Amino acid sequence: MSAQNFVMGSLLAVTAAMRTLGLLITMLAVSPQATTDQKLTVPEGTVITSVQVTGFDIERLSPGLRAGIRNLSGTPLEQQRLDELARRIEAERPHHVAAVRTLMDVEGEARVFFVVGLQDQPDRDDNVNARYIVERADISGVPDGELTPALRDDLAAVVGKRLNSPEAARLRGRIERDLSGYDVSRRIRRGSESGRIRLVYEARKREQPPWLRFESLRSGVIFHSEQGWGSYLDLALGSRNVRVTPIVAIDNSDDFVEEYSGFGLRVEARKLGTRRLGASFEWSRFDQDWERATLDALALDPDIPVLYETRSTVTPLVKFAVTRDLSVAAGVSIAELEPLSPAPGSQTANAFLASIEYDRPWNAVSDATHRVEAGFGIRAGSPELESDLSYRRYFGQGTYRFAFGRHQVQAAGMAGGITGDPPLFERFTVGDSRTLRGWNKYDLAPAGGTRLIYSSVEYRYRGLALFLDAGSVWDTETERRVRVSTGFGFHAGPAFLTVGFPLNTDSVTAIVALGLRVPGVGVQW
Amino acid sequence: MVGASGGAAVVLLVLLAWPGVQSRAQTLTVDTIGSTLKIRAQGFSFLKGDPLVRLKDGQLVRVELTAMVLRAPGQPVVATTRRIFALSYDLWEERFAVTTIEKRSQSITHLSQPAAEAWCIDQLGFPLNALGSRGGELTIWIRLEYRFLNVENPSESEESGFTLQTLIDMLSRRRTTDSAPQAIEAGPFRLRPDRVSSSR
Repeated sequence: MSAQNFVMGSLLAVTAAMRTLGLLITMLAVSPQATTDQKLTVPEGTVITSVQVTGFDIERLSPGLRAGIRNLSGTPLEQQRLDELARRIEAERPHHVAAVRTLMDVEGEARVFFVVGLQDQPDRDDNVNARYIVERADISGVPDGELTPALRDDLAAVVGKRLNSPEAARLRGRIERDLSGYDVSRRIRRGSESGRIRLVYEARKREQPPWLRFESLRSGVIFHSEQGWGSYLDLALGSRNVRVTPIVAIDNSDDFVEEYSGFGLRVEARKLGTRRLGASFEWSRFDQDWERATLDALALDPDIPVLYETRSTVTPLVKFAVTRDLSVAAGVSIAELEPLSPAPGSQTANAFLASIEYDRPWNAVSDATHRVEAGFGIRAGSPELESDLSYRRYFGQGTYRFAFGRHQVQAAGMAGGITGDPPLFERFTVGDSRTLRGWNKYDLAPAGGTRLIYSSVEYRYRGLALFLDAGSVWDTETERRVRVSTGFGFHAGPAFLTVGFPLNTDSVTAIVALGLRVPGVGVQW
Repeated sequence: MVGASGGAAVVLLVLLAWPGVQSRAQTLTVDTIGSTLKIRAQGFSFLKGDPLVRLKDGQLVRVELTAMVLRAPGQPVVATTRRIFALSYDLWEERFAVTTIEKRSQSITHLSQPAAEAWCIDQLGFPLNALGSRGGELTIWIRLEYRFLNVENPSESEESGFTLQTLIDMLSRRRTTDSAPQAIEAGPFRLRPDRVSSSR
């Protein structure tokens, strides 16, 4: 071999090597999206002289696929076959993309490169269908007029690209937010040709919630370190619009001045011909126990009506929904109070009832949820109903809840006033497992009071709660003294534990309340 | 009267236990490969019902498989292994693909449904030395649990539609988008340093 031939040969080899290197660098810079848009650079039928897999160890492919790639050498080039092999590489390695590049060498023969790259981790998609191109994205079940231009743009944006499952799932959420009143599910279907898919979002009209709400269920078993054990169980049985609720109470002292045990039954209908009209009927019979502190307080104040041993109540109500969020109710409460022996005769506390309630939950643009509940009610014990006790009781309350992820904030307030001679079960109390935690109601106002003011702020992070309560119960002739308490709590599903500390007092005694609160137990068919 | 209440209690117990442990024509066996105890669950299928429908709809389904070794039924768990798998169904090739959800994930594609399920279960192994056999014979029970995670379209529950299952969910603080766990349990298996036998 002459020196000239050697130099020429070396130059040709270097040139070929540089071309190959440059081609490889170019190919490595190509976006993975280019796989299906590649242009044929070498005529079909050109004999393939070499095949290379770059960017990936070919030994990590299955033996069949490795053989399929290696057996390409010496065969005529068929682009479809090469594309098929690239698809198989992607199928075996779901987090990789494979592109085919072909090159005609100086002898007129083809060289084939499979360029394999790892998908970016943020876009990692474990769905094997992520390698297919979305040819259409549609929403079914919604009139076209209800689709906003922004929603159409979002749908159009996913077309022509590989399926991005997380993005497709997020798009479902966006559609559901845009189309209020619809439930949206997502399906993927085969497209019109191999390797193409269709994204189908199916929207179905959501069944609208009833305008009138049933009475809140509040089953619970509670231990209060100052007031002992008590339970209140209400089990709802019924359908969407009619409900029967048996009630059982055992030593429950969490609601009133009295500690009561007994049972009751409530029947409710929230759609009487129209979703705006409903009715309820409740009957209950409870036996009372009284704390020593209450007995002592009553002995000192003869103006407070007498104690009773049994309270039987019948409460028919009619409810009307003004809007979805706003409803009013009216009815009567007929209560017969059997006095403690040896007092003669029973006493009646029959009252007209009227109330207005507002309840509105809503979602903000983000995942935050808000809910406002407010209510105001009047109960008027009247001789017109043959009531032995004449009084008027006004009571208003409001709650705002804000939840964002694991964070929850709740602010609540109550205020009330009573005139006349109310029975003991109508008198206000604070200082139990829900209100003024850290104080014992039998230390504050053992016989309750005719005036009430109360507020509370609570922050929860997951199950951990911190709260600050302030409030007072008093009678018109006594001094109003606002008590404040703070504390913490743990909430795990229906189980709770709160530890409250009174603040404006010299005594630093923790009050513990624990138990189970299940907001709604029942069977619906 | 006592008999009637006792019968009712038995029925209640059966109803409570029914969703948790199912014993059907499913064979749970164990096998040792090297120093690893492997679980085989012939006839055990967790891809059914709604998750299978979602897979056939082209969606990704995540399932958490947990295998537990117990000394005896109801006894404390000796060892646990838990892995999460992302399953999908290739709409064009009509085959299943599985990826383990972890930092160094493993993937496999082109599987039939039984093969995909078997592959998932095959990833649940226990190092023999973690079972505390100390070279002697060891009798164990195996409990295999699965539950589906992050259900995309959970059904909305009505305000008063409270059921025993929702109470259990609340008590267990399970995310509402996760399905209830299902399980099978089998045993006793006798582990010897050199082989495994079943005394069933």
